[in-house]
Formats: sequence, structure tokens, C-alpha cells
Amino acid sequence: MSYAYLFKYIIIGDTGVGKSCLLLQFTDKRFQPVHDLTIGVEFGARMITIDNKPIKLQIWDTAGQESFRSITRSYYRGAAGALLVYDITRRETFNHLASWLEDARQHANANMTIMLIGNKSDLAHRRAVSTEEGEQFAKEHGLIFMEASAKTAQNVEEAFIKTAATIYKKIQDGVFDVSNESYGIKVGYGGIPGSSGGRDGASAQAGGCCS
Amino acid sequence: MDLVSGYKGMVGLVFGNDNSGSNEDSYVERLLDRISNGVLPDDRRNAMTELQSVVAESRGAQLAFGAMGFPVLMGVLKEERDDVEMIRGALETLVSALTPIDHAKGPQNEVQPALMNTDLLSREAENISLLLSLLSEEDFYVRYYTLQILTALLTNSQNRLQEAILTIPRGITRLMDMLMDREVIRNEALLLLTHLTREAEEIQKILVFEGAFEKIFSIIKEEGGSEGGVVVQDCLELLNNLLRNNACNQVLLRETLGFDAIISILKLRGSSYSFTQQKTINLLSALETINLLLMGGSESDPGKDTNKLTNRTVLVQNKVFDYLLLLGVESQWAPIPVRCAALRCIADLIVGHPKNLDTLSSKVLGEEPQVEPALNSILRIILRTSSAQEFIEADHVFKSFCERNSDGQTMLASTLIPQPYSMTNAPIEEDVRMSFGSMLLHGLTLGESDGDLETCCRAASVLSHVLRDNIQCKERVLRIELESPTPSLGASEPLMHRMVKYLALASNMKNKDGKTSTKENSYVQPIILKLLVTWLADCPNAAQCFLASRPHLTYLLELVSNPSATTCTRGLAAVLLGECVIYNKSGESGKDAFTVVDAISQKIGLTSYFLKFDEMMKSFLFSPVKTTKLHKPLTRSAAASMEEIEDVDEQDSSDHKNEDHPILSSVFDSHFVNFVKSLEGNIRETIVDVYSRPKSEVAVVPAELELKRGESDKEYIERLKSFVQKQCSEIQNLLGRNATLAENLAKTGGSVSSQPEQRTSGGFDRVQAETLRRDLQEASQRIEMLKAEKAKIESEASMYQNLAGKMESDLKSLSDAYNSLEQANFHLEKEVKALKSGGASTPPDVEAIKAEAREEAQKESEVELNDLLVCLGQEQSRVEKLSARLLELGEDVDKLLEGVGDDMGLPEDSEKEED
Repeated sequence: MSYAYLFKYIIIGDTGVGKSCLLLQFTDKRFQPVHDLTIGVEFGARMITIDNKPIKLQIWDTAGQESFRSITRSYYRGAAGALLVYDITRRETFNHLASWLEDARQHANANMTIMLIGNKSDLAHRRAVSTEEGEQFAKEHGLIFMEASAKTAQNVEEAFIKTAATIYKKIQDGVFDVSNESYGIKVGYGGIPGSSGGRDGASAQAGGCCS
Repeated sequence: MDLVSGYKGMVGLVFGNDNSGSNEDSYVERLLDRISNGVLPDDRRNAMTELQSVVAESRGAQLAFGAMGFPVLMGVLKEERDDVEMIRGALETLVSALTPIDHAKGPQNEVQPALMNTDLLSREAENISLLLSLLSEEDFYVRYYTLQILTALLTNSQNRLQEAILTIPRGITRLMDMLMDREVIRNEALLLLTHLTREAEEIQKILVFEGAFEKIFSIIKEEGGSEGGVVVQDCLELLNNLLRNNACNQVLLRETLGFDAIISILKLRGSSYSFTQQKTINLLSALETINLLLMGGSESDPGKDTNKLTNRTVLVQNKVFDYLLLLGVESQWAPIPVRCAALRCIADLIVGHPKNLDTLSSKVLGEEPQVEPALNSILRIILRTSSAQEFIEADHVFKSFCERNSDGQTMLASTLIPQPYSMTNAPIEEDVRMSFGSMLLHGLTLGESDGDLETCCRAASVLSHVLRDNIQCKERVLRIELESPTPSLGASEPLMHRMVKYLALASNMKNKDGKTSTKENSYVQPIILKLLVTWLADCPNAAQCFLASRPHLTYLLELVSNPSATTCTRGLAAVLLGECVIYNKSGESGKDAFTVVDAISQKIGLTSYFLKFDEMMKSFLFSPVKTTKLHKPLTRSAAASMEEIEDVDEQDSSDHKNEDHPILSSVFDSHFVNFVKSLEGNIRETIVDVYSRPKSEVAVVPAELELKRGESDKEYIERLKSFVQKQCSEIQNLLGRNATLAENLAKTGGSVSSQPEQRTSGGFDRVQAETLRRDLQEASQRIEMLKAEKAKIESEASMYQNLAGKMESDLKSLSDAYNSLEQANFHLEKEVKALKSGGASTPPDVEAIKAEAREEAQKESEVELNDLLVCLGQEQSRVEKLSARLLELGEDVDKLLEGVGDDMGLPEDSEKEED
């Protein structure tokens, strides 16, 4: 149970884009083609390693439906990272990104790391949003971008780990006051906070995992 | 609240009494007016103070304030943030307006001003939002009063507040931050959050997202764990709210913090022998947390079972058994409620979890060299505890241990080795070195000496778990023979017979002691019966062993119809009887299923037999509404009075009007109840079966009614006759049974024809009777047919007889003719002799003539005789043929011919005499 850092993530995005499936793929390494509609929020956790440091990820998977917005907003402030997910086969989910982003900027802390994920990359033949458009949107809004598939697991691991690596780097750079838990970051017993502060960011590499 | 008492006098001056409603209204109105329109800050502050004290004092003022005051005070809270004193005053006034004033007088249905005011205040979501914003104020009292107001609102309009707080951005976060505030605020916030999280899953999750677990555990640690005060109790109550039916939060706790923190609360620190009331409550709350984890998420959650299973695995990995066994089994000082709760957790940890079962069965307690398996210690609790509740919980551990665990059952059963009598009768204190089985057998037979069957019936309950659904164990325990208590009197007997003996003994004891002890002992018989019912199930050998002793059946029949036995006892006895039918594979007459069924219908009557089932099923123990008692969460108020943690004994007896001991509702778990229900159907079916297909002594094969080839008439008749005879006796049997049934039917139809279930069983009788009647009819038709056949044969026989008579007379006349001829011949010879003697003097010619004549006569008679002989021969052969035929037909030919022979014999005799 010991970890150097604990990061809180949220997964947001329109209903049906595959948020719960991404989480399930990441925590359980399995895909469930038919997933019940998420009510409120669900929780998942996994340990990863970055820069040889064990990092615990606590992930809250939120309901995409509008009616749950007031509940899910409660999770924004305390999160260190957010996965903003759209469905590459459904244009409207891409069009709604701006409003999601606005919500996040309004309720979350300013330093929250946001990863934009174009999910369902296995369904390339039904693609409605090009990779370039996704990249463009991410660039404009300062997000990290990746296309992924919860079904084939392609880029799922990478998406979660890259987000963590970004947060880790921000810690190293001294962006966060890690003693304030409201940023969604917690220093664990197994880590030495800020000892290697501000060193070469390249060392923040995605490592293996253990759950 | 010293301020309040200070103003008391003044208020008392203003109001002569509380009832002057209009006075209060105008007074409150004036104060409110001063607050909103006053110019001098001091005057407004004074008005606020006055308002607060009047609202705290009188219900009338509370009402008046509710009608007019909220907008004014809300305005103050919104607009005058800088005036801390004003804000404080306004908040304190609100607290007073929401706090019920205890008035012993006053009718019950009167409007509760405090309730009404909370309703008014909580209606506006904006108000809640305003209050939450006040939590960020610097001033301690502002935050303190605000928390009190919110708690008051939550107590009375929980749902509305929960919804409102959910919609306010960062609302819960603000409340959570209060947990990090100074102690007074923190404790107040704990209470508030406890109310807020009650049955609100989303709020529970947000709280956890905000790090509630970490905060709760750090406060518990700070406060000294289970040794801590009421704050620890509040923390645990909040923790339990967060985990109850919430799989998501359970997973989070397990995956993030782990269960160590909660398990370590169970660890006894410091003085392990002192259990204050607060410590007891803290431990019970922590055990409740374990229990919530064992129950998993809500019923509707699809992942409930996996989550539950993982929780169990992780808890045991974290060595929860050690602490539970310490609290539940080893500690001599732990209060009974704590021991019971710990045992309950142990039971829930092992049920259906092979790995945990193994872990528990390999646990040993005590210190070298006095170690013994934990299971033995738990058995000792069962046998020795003076608390019914503790017995129930420890018994539940064994029930859970044996459930779907045939290896475990076999392991326990393998130690059941009878000891010599002297050993088993050793004082129970010397049992540390005993094996599980010896201890159990010891317990089973302990009542022998002092006539106390309490221990015996508890041991019987454990044994029934060991035997349940496990045929190997049943067979094994069947073979156990016990020495007779007085070795001089008779040989050893099977354990089962001993149990039946105790069953009988239990009812005797009851009769002797009269009514007072009936209630006390009313569970001994049902529990022993439960053991026997479990034992016989699916085990023909057990049924055979039970029936091996003739009096057993008789006793059971008596017990079923014994009016002084409880409904449950009679019902279970009936079930046991039924098992003697359905699991009876014995062919031995007098012990087979037919005998038992006949005994039931003769001694009890089928209708009243089945009635015993119905009665039992209707009783409280078997009613579907019986659910395992839900444990109410230990709230502060409930815990304070400690009523909650009293023993089960007294509780139940009064509230249900049921004659059965409360212990039974735990011992008769749903599994057993369902099992008995399924048995009942089975028993009904089998008894119908026994009746509809009676064990026939005569096989009716139509082909055999015909004459067999090569069979003589006589043989044929003989065969048919014996067949008819057998059928006759069987018909007699059936008639007897039919009569019993008809009698039963008549009784049913007469007395209780309106009851449907009896009608069905009456109908069953009728069907039965109908079948029998049809059988009877068929049989009598067959008899008629046979009679006719017999008559035909008889008439044939008499015809032949007549024929034979005629032949006889013919023969007689012929022989007469022959006789007369002979006589004539004789005369002639005489004549010839005379002539010869005379002819000596006469010439020799006479001699010649005579010779000539004789020759002639001889020749003549010879011809005639030949004819006669031929005739006779023919006749003779005819008679022979006929008599053979008669013989075939079964007529006594010699007798028939007797007369004839005499007639014939006489002339012959006379002929001889004449010779």
C-alpha cells in the first residue's frame, strides 16, 4: 500500500463515449462491450511506477449525463488530473468538448492536468473526427492528446501514465504545494517529496505497473 | 448560554404568561423592526439579543419568528458580514428558533414551531448556500452556530438538505474542511456529516473523494482508538455511514488505505480487562464496520458478490481473525454484546469462503502447552455459556463452518470417538485436552447425570450442522455406540437411540415441572428433533436405525398428537415420521414404509397428521416474514441507554405472541425452514404414492386367469381358488384401510370442511377410496365369474355322475342275468347229479345223455358268458374313463361310486356265500 504519491483523477466527457470502459481496461485489463449507464460516480484504483516511484492512482469515473452534472462537479476541485474523453465516431461528443472544458476550468484548480482522449480508435472506419482535429483542439487549449481504444487497450495504459508523468513533472518543477491535499495530490510514506525537485524532466518515464 | 438566563428575568417581566399570543407577535415584530430599521448599531444589536432570548424561551415567539423573522435575519447574514456581533446574534437566534422547547404540557398534535421553522428555512436553497458560505468566516462562533443550524436542519428535513448541499458547488468540500478545524468545530462537523451521509450514496462518495477516510482514521488515532471517548464513536458512526451498502467506497478503502486502520481499532490496548461503556460502544461500532464490509454493497449492485468476497479475503489477510478471536473467544472480560458481535463477524467471514475456512480451522488459541484449536474453544462457549445470545452466535459460527464444507464436516466428524463412560463423565473443566468430537459427545450425554438437557440440546444443534447434507458423516455417526450409563444394565446403544431417549426425557421433564419451566425448555425438544430430521434426510440407514427400536415409532406417534407439546414440536415430529416413510428403503415387514403409513393413519389419521404440518408452517418460526433481526446502527442516543446491547432473552418474549423460545428463531434458519417445507411436499407425495400403489400380495396378470396349456381342470381350479383366496384377504386389508380413510374423510367433511387445505386432503382420501372401491368392484366381478364357472363345472360333474349311475344299473341287470343263468346251470347240474346217482342203476345211456346235455348247456352258457364279459369289459372301461374325468374335475369318485359298489357287491357276496 505504500506509495510515493497519490494522484486523484477524474474522467469526464459525454455519455456513451467509453469512460467506464477506459477505467475498466486500465484497472482490470478487460473490456465489457455492454456497460451499464454510470450513476453518479464510480471508483477505481491502480498502482503505477514513474521514475521508479510507486504512484497510486485513484480514479473517479463520472456519469456523462447532464442530470448528474451537479454531482460530478463536486469532484473537479480535488482532482490532480482529468481525462476528457470524446468518441471519434460521434461528432457531437467532440463538439461538446468546449463546454466540458469550461466546466472544468470553472470548478477545478488551475493546475489540473487535462488529457484529451479520442476513444474508440478501433472503429476507424466509422471515424467522424480526424486525428488532426483532435490534435488541433488539444493544442489550442493546452491539453495533452491521444487517441485510444478501450476495446483493444491501445494507448489506454499510456494515457493514464502520461497524465501521471505530467503531474509528476509539475511536482518536480515545484508547481504544486504538495502539502495541500486540495490539489488532488498526496505524498505517501514511500516517497521523498521534492528531494529531486526541478531536475531533468525526461526522467519521468512511464514504467511498468502493479495493482 | 449564560446570556439566556440573564435575560430570562426580563422576558418574564414582559410576558406574564406564554399564552398571550398576540402580545408575543407584536413584541417579536417590534424587535424585528428595530433590527431591520434601527439606526444605532447598538440598538440593533440589543434588539437581536432580546429576540434571541425570547425565541429561546417561548414557543409562541418561535412561531411568531417563523412567520416574520427569516427574511430579516437572512438579510443581516447577507449584507452585514463585517458586523461579526450582528452575524453571531442572528445565527444564535436562528439556532434558538430551530431548537424545540421542551414543554411537558401542550397537546401532542400541536404545531411544533421548531419543526415548522426548519421547514421554512430549508425550503430556500439559497439559504443553505448562504449558511455554507458562513463556514469560511474567521470568527469561531459564526462557524460553530452555522454548523449547529445545519445540523438542526438536517435532523428535520434530511432529504431536502442533502439535495440542496449536493447542488451547491464545493458545498461538501466546505463541510469537509471543518473536520480539520479546531476541536469543538471538528466534533460539531462530525455530527453534521453523520446526518448528511445517512442514506445518501452520492454524498458518501464525495466525502470519500475529499479524503474522509484519512481524516476519520487520523481523528480516531488522535483520540486513542477504542479507548477514546464519544468522538471516536462519532467517527465510527460516520465511517459506517460511508461504507454501508456502498461498494464504491468499500473498494476505495480497500484499495487505498486498506483495512488495517479499521482492524487495528479492534486491537485491545492498555488494560484489556477494563471495558467501560464507551469502550464497549466503540468496539461494537468497529465490529459493525467489519460487518458492513462483510455484507458488501447494496443489494442491487451487480458486483456485490465479488466485492464481498474480496473484502473477506483481504480482512483475513490482514489478520482480522486474531483480533476477533481475542474479543469473541479468548477475552474473559469482553462484555457479551462485544463477544457476540465478534462471533458474528467470524461466522460471516468463513461462510462459503474455502480459504478463510481453512484459516479458521487451523487457528489455535492459548499459550503452550495449553493450546487448543479455536473451534474447540468456540464449541466450549456453546456448551457452557449462560447467555442465550452468545450460544446463538457461537452456534452460527459452526453453521457457517459446515455450510458447503463437506471436508470440514468430515474433519469434525472424524473426531467423534466415544470414550469410556468414566471419561465422558469427567467434569467438564478437564476438557482442554479433549478433541472436538469427545467434547461434543461429552456435551451430548452430559444431561444424563443431572437431568439437565440444556447442554445436550446445544451439542445436538452443533451435531446437526456437522451432519447436514453430508451422507458420509451421517453414516459415520450412525455407527457410534455409547456405553450404557449403568454398564450392568444392558449393552451399549447407538448414539441416535440415546438422542431419542433424551427427546422423550425432555417432554417428561416438562410435565413434571409444570408450566413455569415450559417456556425455558421449549427449545430442547425442537432442537433435538431438528438434529433427527437433519440426520434422517436422504439417509435410509438412519431411518432404519431410528425404526430399529419399536418404541421409537410409538413414541413419535404419541408426540405428534400430544396436545401439551408445542406446535413446532408436533410439526417436527410429524416431519420425522414422514422421513421414516420417504427415506425408508427397508423391506422388513413391520418396519417398512407401509407399516409407518398405516400406523400414521390409524393412530393419528392422515388429515390431522397433515394438519400438524400446516400448523407448524403457520407458526412464527416458519413464517416468511421472519427475517434475521437487523442491527440498528448504534446511534448516540441508543448507545447512551445501552438498551440496544442487552441480551436477546427478554427482548423477544413479549412482542410476538409466539409460544416458541426466541432461540429457536435463530436455530431454525432459513435453510432449515426451506428444507422442512420441501420435505413436506415430498412426504405428501410419498404417502399418496404408498396408498395409490399398495404393496399387492397378488399380481393380477390377465393371462394367468386362463386355463394353461396342459393343465388339468383340477389344477386349474386349485390355482384359481388360491388366487381368489389371496385376493380376498387383500381386499379385506384394503377395506380396512378404506374404512379408516372413510372415517377420516367423514370427520374432515363434518368439522372443518371450509378449510381449503383440508378439502384437498379430503379429496385425496376420496380419490383413494374411489380407487379402492374400483378395485373391490373388479375383484367381486372376478369372483362372480369364477362362481359361474364353478357352477358350470359342477353341473357337468353331476351329469357325468348320472351317466355313471345308469351304466351302473345296466351292469347290475347284466350281472343279475348272469347270476340267474348261473343258478339255472347249478340246478341243471344238481339235476344231472341226481339223475346220475339215480342212473347208476339205470342204463349207462343216461350217462351219455347227461354228458351230452351238459356239453350242450355248457356250450350255450359259455357263448352267453362271453357276450356278457365283452359287455362288462366295455362297461368297465367306460366307468374307468368317467371316473378319471370326474377325478379331474375334483369330484371324489370313490365316494360317488360307493353306493354303486355296494349295490354291485351284494349279489357277488351272496354268490360267494352260495358257493
